[in-house]
Amino acid sequence: MSFSRQFLSLLRLSLSGMGARLGAVLTIIVGVTCAVGVLVAMLAMGSGARREVLAGARDDRIVVVSHGASGIQSNIPRDAAETVRDLPGIKKGSDGKPLVVFQSVVLIEAHRRVTGTRIFFPLVGVTAAPFTEALPELRLTQGRTFRPGLYELIASDPCVRQYTGFGIGDKRAIGGADWTIVGHFVQGDTQQCAVLADAEILMSTFHSNTYTRATATLRSPADYAILQRALDANPALHLEVRHERDDREEGIRQLNALLDFAAYFVGSIMAIGATLGAVNSLYSIVDSRRREIATLRAIGFGSGAVATAILCESILLALPGALLGVLLARALFHRMAVSPFGFSFLLDVTPALAVIGVVWALAMGLIGGLLPALRAARVPVTTALRAT
Amino acid sequence: MKYLPLIWSGLWRKPARTILIFLQVSVAFALFGVLQGLKTGVSHAVAAARADLLLVHSRLSFLMQPLPYGLLEQIRTVPGVKVAIPVELTFATYQQPNQGIGVVAVTPEEGWTAAFTYTIAPADVAAFARSRTAMLVRDVVMEKYGWKIGDHIPLKLPIQRQDGSSDWAFDVVGTFTDSDIGGGRRNVLVSYPNFDEARLLQKGTVNHFNVAVTDPKLAAQVANAIDARFANSSHETKTESLRELAQSSMQAIGDFDFLIRAVVGAVLVALLFATTTMMVQSIHERTPELAVVKTVGFTDRAVFLLILAEALAVFLAGAVCGLLLASVALPVAARFVLGLSMPGIVVVLGLALGTLVALVSAAIPAALAARLKVVTALGGHRAA
Repeated sequence: MSFSRQFLSLLRLSLSGMGARLGAVLTIIVGVTCAVGVLVAMLAMGSGARREVLAGARDDRIVVVSHGASGIQSNIPRDAAETVRDLPGIKKGSDGKPLVVFQSVVLIEAHRRVTGTRIFFPLVGVTAAPFTEALPELRLTQGRTFRPGLYELIASDPCVRQYTGFGIGDKRAIGGADWTIVGHFVQGDTQQCAVLADAEILMSTFHSNTYTRATATLRSPADYAILQRALDANPALHLEVRHERDDREEGIRQLNALLDFAAYFVGSIMAIGATLGAVNSLYSIVDSRRREIATLRAIGFGSGAVATAILCESILLALPGALLGVLLARALFHRMAVSPFGFSFLLDVTPALAVIGVVWALAMGLIGGLLPALRAARVPVTTALRAT
Repeated sequence: MKYLPLIWSGLWRKPARTILIFLQVSVAFALFGVLQGLKTGVSHAVAAARADLLLVHSRLSFLMQPLPYGLLEQIRTVPGVKVAIPVELTFATYQQPNQGIGVVAVTPEEGWTAAFTYTIAPADVAAFARSRTAMLVRDVVMEKYGWKIGDHIPLKLPIQRQDGSSDWAFDVVGTFTDSDIGGGRRNVLVSYPNFDEARLLQKGTVNHFNVAVTDPKLAAQVANAIDARFANSSHETKTESLRELAQSSMQAIGDFDFLIRAVVGAVLVALLFATTTMMVQSIHERTPELAVVKTVGFTDRAVFLLILAEALAVFLAGAVCGLLLASVALPVAARFVLGLSMPGIVVVLGLALGTLVALVSAAIPAALAARLKVVTALGGHRAA
C-alpha cells in the first residue's frame, strides 16, 4: 500500500476509535479551547483600542499642534490662529471660510455612575464657525447644540451612560460659572466621554489665551505636503502638522504595546499548559493502542504512516478547540466595555484575531503531537503483540 | 509515614505522565501568580503611596490650569505645612521628536526634597542648588541617553524663551530615583527660578504646589485648610494627597478584574479537566495493582486517601514551582508594568487553590479506586 493510503486508513481508524477515548480527546479540546479563548479575548483589547481611536479618523483631516507636543500639552497662541486658518490646502466651507476648528482642552472631574469613582474627562472648547462641516461625524442625539457666548455644554452619549450629572438641563459648576447641559451627541461610534463648549467662553473662564490644538479638513489628502511646507517655512510659529490618523495612533501606542504584550504573554503560558496536556493525552492514546499499532505494523503499515496519522489526529483535535475558543471569546467578550487608565473602548474580536487563534491552536496540536507520534512509530512490534 | 514509599512508587509508575502533570500545574500556577500579583501589587502600591505629601492644584482643572506663584506664601502660613515647593511641569524632546522627557521645575531652596518622593544624594542636592542651569536626571533617563555628570544637554521645549527660540539647555549635575509609582519614569528636574525668568509667556505661574505636612495624621485637615484659604478667590485650589491620586488613577485596573478572573478560571478549568482524565486513565491501568493492595489488607478508605495523597503531592510541588517561577518573572515584568509585586497572600492563596484543585480532580479517580471489587479486578477486568 502507498504511504498516503496507509495514512488515510490509519487516520480513519484513529477517528473512529475516538469515542472510546473520550476523556483524552476532551482534555485536548478543552485545553486548546481555554488557551485560544484567552489569547483571542486579550488580543481583542488591543484591537478594540485601535478601532476606538481610529474610529472617524479621516485621511483628509490633519491636526496642528505645537512642535513636538504630545497629548493635550500643546499650545497655539490666539494670535497665531489667523495664520493657521490661512494655511494653503485647507478646504473651504459653504460659507467660504476654511474648515479649521480650534480646540481648547481642559480636564474636568466627573464621577462614575456605579462606583462613584472620580475620573478626569476632557472639556473641549471648539471655535464655532464651520463646526458641523468640519466635524461631520458629530451628530446630535438629543437637545440642541451650545450657543456661542453662553455657558452651555453638550456631552457625548458615553458620558451620559457612564458618569453622573450629564442629563439635559443638569448644571455643572466649572470655573466659578454654572454651565448647563443642553444637548447630547454621538461622535462616530467612539466610546470616549467628550464634552464640548464654545471655545471663547471656556477660554475666558480659564483665563487662557492659547488654544490647545487645531483640526483642519484638507481639500484632498495630497494637500498635506503643501500645508506642511507652508508651516515649515514659518518656524517662528513653533507648530507642526500631523495626519489625524497618526496623531491618534501615537496617542495609544504605549497602551497598545502593553495590551498586546500582556495578551501574548498570558496566551503563550496558556498554550504551553495546553500543549503539555495534549502531549499527556496523546501519550495515553498511543499507549492504549499499543497492540493495535503493533498489529498494523505487523501487517505492513509503515512507521512513517503511523507517526503521521498520530500527528494529524493531534492537529485535528486541536481544531475544534480553536473554533470553540474563538466562539467563546466572541460570545463572552466581544463588545465588552472596558476603560483601562480612563480610556474607554469596546473589546473587538475580529476575523484577523480568529485566524491568529486557529494558527495558535494548530501550533499547539503540531508541537503536542510530535513526541507521541514518535513513540507510536517506535512501538516494538514483537513485545507489544505479546503484552497482555 | 509508612505509606510514603507507596505514594512515591505510585507517582513514578509512569514518570512521563507525572512530570507532564507537574509541568502543567506549574505553568498554570505561574500564570496565576503573575495575574494575582498584578492585582494585589497595584493595591499595595496604592497603600504605599504617601499620604503625607499633598498636591495643591487648581480647582478648575487637574494639572492643566496654572496657579500664580504668589499663592506660595499663603500656603506656607497654613498650620501643619512643613515644606511647600512650587512645581512647574512641561515636557521636552531630546534630539528627536519621539524621545520625550518630562521636565519638572522646582525651587531648590533649603529642604525642598522633603516635599517629593525623590531619592537624591546630598552632594547632588547641593550641586543642584548651586547652579541656575543645573539639571538632575532620573537614573533610567541617564542610562537611556548615556548622559554623564557635567554634560550640557540641549532640549527642545514647547515653551518659548525670551528670544523666541524653543531651544533650551541644562547641565547635568546629578541623578535621582523616584519611589512614587505615579511619577513619570522619564523625568528630569530643573530649577524653577531660572526657568521662569527665561520664558517669554505665562511668567510667574506654576502647575501645582507640593506640600509636606508636619504630621501625616493632619494631612486631610491641612488639605482642607489650604483649600479654605483660597475659597471664593479667583484661584480656587484643590488639595489631594499622593495616595488619593494613586487611588483614582489605579481604579482603572478594576476594569480588568473581570478579565483576570476569566483567565484564571479558564486556566483552572483546563487544568482540572486534564488532570482528572489523566488520573482516571492511571487508575484504569493500575487496576491489578490496586486489587493486590486491597487484597493484602488496605481498606477502601486507605486506597482513597492514597490516591488523594498522590494528587496532592504533584499539585503542591507544581504550585510551589509555578509560584516560584512567577516570583522570578515578576521583577522582570515590573520593568514594563508599574506596581507589579507578589505579596505573601498570593502565595497562600495559590497553595490553597492548588490543594483544592488537587482534591477536586482526584475525587473521581480516588472513588473509582476505592470502589474497586477485588475479585473482578484480579480477574483482569478494568474498573468500571
